[in-house]
Amino acid sequence: MNSPLLIILLLIPAAGALIGALLPIAAARSWALLISLATLLVGIIIAWRFQYGFSGFQFTFDNANLSLPFHASFSLGIDAISIWLVLLTVLLMPLSIAASWEVIKDRPREYYSWMLLLLAAMLGVFVARDILVFYIFFELTLVPMFFIIGIWGGPERRAAAGKFFLFTFTGSVFTLAAAIYLGYHAGTFDIAAIVDYARTSLTDGERYWILLALLAGFAVKVPLFPVHTWLPLAHTEAPTAGSVILAGVLLKLGTYGLLRLALPIGILAANSVAFPHMIHVLGYLCVIGVIYGALVAWVQKDVKKLVAYSSVSHLGFCVLGMIALNTYGIEGSVLYMINHGLSTGAMFLVIGMIYDRYHTRDIRELSGLARRMPILAFFFVLFTLASIGLPGLNGFVSEFLTILGAFTSPYLGVWFGTFAALGIILGAVYMLHMVACIIFGPLRTPESHDHGQVPGDIGKREIAILIPLALAVVFLGVYPSGVLRSMNDAVARIQQPILRQERQATANLQSPFSAGAQHREFPRLAADVVPNP
Amino acid sequence: MNDLLQAMFPEIVLCAAAAILLLMGVSRRPSTRRAAPVLAILALIVAGASQLSAIGGSAARLDLRWNTVRVYEFARYVKLLSSAIGVLLVLLAWPTNRDATGGPAHNFGEEAAEFFGLMLLSIAGIFIVAGANDMMLLFLGIELASIPTYIMVSISAPRAISQEAGVKYFFLGAMAAALMLFGFSYLFGTTGTTRLDLIAQRIDPRTGLTAWQILAVVMLIAGFAFKMAVVPLHFYAGDVYQGAATPVTAFLSFVPKISGFVALLKILFAVTAGTWHIAPQIVKLLWVMAALTMSVGNVLGLVQVNVKRLLAYSSIAHSGYMLVGVTALLSTTDYEIQSSALQGILFYLSAYGLMNVAAFGVLILLPSRLNQPSTSAETFEDLAGVGRKHTLLALAMAVSCFSLIGLPLTVGFFGKFLLILPAWKANLTWLVIILVINAAVSAGYYLRIVGAMFLGSETAGPRFRQQPAADQPIHHPMPVLVSVGISMVAILWFGIVWPATSRLTIRTATAAHIEPAVNTPVASVSQR
Repeated sequence: MNSPLLIILLLIPAAGALIGALLPIAAARSWALLISLATLLVGIIIAWRFQYGFSGFQFTFDNANLSLPFHASFSLGIDAISIWLVLLTVLLMPLSIAASWEVIKDRPREYYSWMLLLLAAMLGVFVARDILVFYIFFELTLVPMFFIIGIWGGPERRAAAGKFFLFTFTGSVFTLAAAIYLGYHAGTFDIAAIVDYARTSLTDGERYWILLALLAGFAVKVPLFPVHTWLPLAHTEAPTAGSVILAGVLLKLGTYGLLRLALPIGILAANSVAFPHMIHVLGYLCVIGVIYGALVAWVQKDVKKLVAYSSVSHLGFCVLGMIALNTYGIEGSVLYMINHGLSTGAMFLVIGMIYDRYHTRDIRELSGLARRMPILAFFFVLFTLASIGLPGLNGFVSEFLTILGAFTSPYLGVWFGTFAALGIILGAVYMLHMVACIIFGPLRTPESHDHGQVPGDIGKREIAILIPLALAVVFLGVYPSGVLRSMNDAVARIQQPILRQERQATANLQSPFSAGAQHREFPRLAADVVPNP
Repeated sequence: MNDLLQAMFPEIVLCAAAAILLLMGVSRRPSTRRAAPVLAILALIVAGASQLSAIGGSAARLDLRWNTVRVYEFARYVKLLSSAIGVLLVLLAWPTNRDATGGPAHNFGEEAAEFFGLMLLSIAGIFIVAGANDMMLLFLGIELASIPTYIMVSISAPRAISQEAGVKYFFLGAMAAALMLFGFSYLFGTTGTTRLDLIAQRIDPRTGLTAWQILAVVMLIAGFAFKMAVVPLHFYAGDVYQGAATPVTAFLSFVPKISGFVALLKILFAVTAGTWHIAPQIVKLLWVMAALTMSVGNVLGLVQVNVKRLLAYSSIAHSGYMLVGVTALLSTTDYEIQSSALQGILFYLSAYGLMNVAAFGVLILLPSRLNQPSTSAETFEDLAGVGRKHTLLALAMAVSCFSLIGLPLTVGFFGKFLLILPAWKANLTWLVIILVINAAVSAGYYLRIVGAMFLGSETAGPRFRQQPAADQPIHHPMPVLVSVGISMVAILWFGIVWPATSRLTIRTATAAHIEPAVNTPVASVSQR
């Protein structure tokens, strides 16, 4: 059965971008907001009609007429994991467009068209069921973001845009090569079929190289530790909305790719876990990223750069949970993607609002904003606490689950968990340091600021932008089990080989011949053990 | 005789039109000379249409009397492709009134009609190469494709640099021709015939090529490498591309290249008796040449300051990508893989032609800021900040750059895809890795073009600080706009509408063997 909803979800922003480029300049921003809200509406309809707790793809769309000579087909679908990322994307985009409302004066038509194209491309990645379609959308996100950073960014925008494009593109060409290899050998580009093929027919040597090629693309996008250097520059130079989308959604393309392709194809073999040492290497990179990102964030003077480095640190947690390969870890990791998107996106929004007023983001120049802008200060503190992982707000649950996953995982173990937990402490240190410096303390007006006018608190538009995010942050903190429970089956599907192995181990344990076999018990339902705050 | 006429019909049309154009060049009436490009386009359309199976019939056109010409689906594809791109190239070179434009594209004076005559002759050369079944005719075809380009480079612009480029190109081209002839003579000496089908018969597929024949093939590859601008015979490319006027550069980047590739494929087909199974030394040679060509082209592309020179190195790199396809073709014995490799090469040739027409077309439409006589945009400074004033033009350039990088939704993506696919199939793992690394490296310099246009400001560059950019209004000649527009539509069409549904892939798939009766070469034609 073909459901048109996903096609509509992609076509609305894509067509909206093309039409928006032809509209008069004055109408550009309203049009973009309208289109992004329409996309949000479609997203909500999909979420409404979605059958949670069903592990397979829903709203599938296959078009046989569009099939390529090499057995790829334009097939879409959405499952319990991707629905949350789609919802995150459609939620963040109208907010980012609203945040650009007053700021983007230069060439607004182009700006909003690129934003809408970016929306279509990002949604395409999350709903693709064909590895080639996935790759096409994955690459398509580069072009709009290149222009958004490069044209509307800060003083070093050219370098930032180029670095962003080149890093990501260089990584992902290897992914393309691997995708073509898999597609050719499996005889199809359908992701599920490729995963099946990879589990049954790939030799270890092939799997190793394919894993490396897939990692090359996704690790840069995430970004993992040694290839993260494009991120701080791109985040800092991008316009506010660009940073929000970059941190909120684009980085998730990398983690999503890891979860959908790299893990099932590269790491999880038919009945076992291939390359435990690669999991270790990844684990080291994650832990290094967590701690290194946190330490570097601590000494930043630019607030935006601080949050950018905090992203490096946070995504270390996210990937660490994923490669723990147990239910806690993977579910925590998916939840982490959403939470990071919400809280970091929100922080970039607030920082953008501060920048609009003071034209500086220097931690040394800003001080005591709580006295002048109490509402802004409230939101800023709220999102900071969410980002640190205060219980009751969203960050806590996912951080807890990923670290729990690392602790209980047979592939990672105590030390990875311990060092990652150290990252949480450091996270609190740099975040609270930042809050203490710019929100509290004596009220000071930056030297570079024009003393003529005193900037006021945030207005209705800005409050309206932040309120949905604040609600989501609180909601996911109080009731995460809704999200977690819906994912159970989808995550179990990814974990299949491990579960099978586990079952085998249990069977061996019961047989008298293998009394010495090691066995670890993994609770199935993470949602059942999440502490209810 | 009649079948020969039928088989050679498009070549005859083109050469006849070229002859008329040469005569028109002598006319004193400007209106006559102004009609030249119209006639050239008409001739190309007639020649191309005669190759459409709907009009010309899909049967093979063979010259049964002397066996010199054999037109199968492969040759039809090449002819159709080169006449289509030829139309776009003629549009690019359309004479523009120097006073009305900010950047006259080439020296339009008395030579206009001859110029188009030379263009047609050159394209007729590709037609002959595609259909030739005789080494002599093949050689004539290649030289017919090349010699007019030497003249075109020299007369294209009244600048010393153009003369120099023409002379350099001529001498190196003559050397390449000598190499080629040397190779042909060895092939003739060892087989006793100049006919390709007889060569195929007389080379024993079990013993393969003799040492002398391998030497001959290596020399032929060297000669074709010059035409294709393949390392190590690429040295002329930078100077010649930069020196020639931009429409001529666009012509140079396509016509000699396609003639070289087609000739290479035909010769390899003949000496392997249609099995594509050749001595491993030659496969290795092509492997190394492919890897070197891609890498040298892209790395040197990174350091260029002149956009035309940059596109010259990009053109070298793209030859390297196509050589990956040739290497894949030769390193497998599986018929399916061979067809997919040939399909990849043929698809890439058309993709490359389209992307290049668009890129050079935009350069022609933009003025040089240095106000030298008779140049179009050449340097990054000329392109700086163009995105603000001429958004559509800059977008067209961006699309062709993204296509040259190989980003999705452009024809370049499927071009690369269809080359990587057979390379994987033929187990050329390292070549695939080198190819994708090169794709990433090439993104570096193509992005510089896009960056200069959209992200740069108009006053960038040291020379402009002293000399403010002349803010003259730019008159865009309509034919060039049409040409850029057509290629833009084609780039996006073949990239977005999935190639499965596009005529192009269907055509490349049917053309994917040079002669239909593979493995039993030449059985189909009786000898008289």
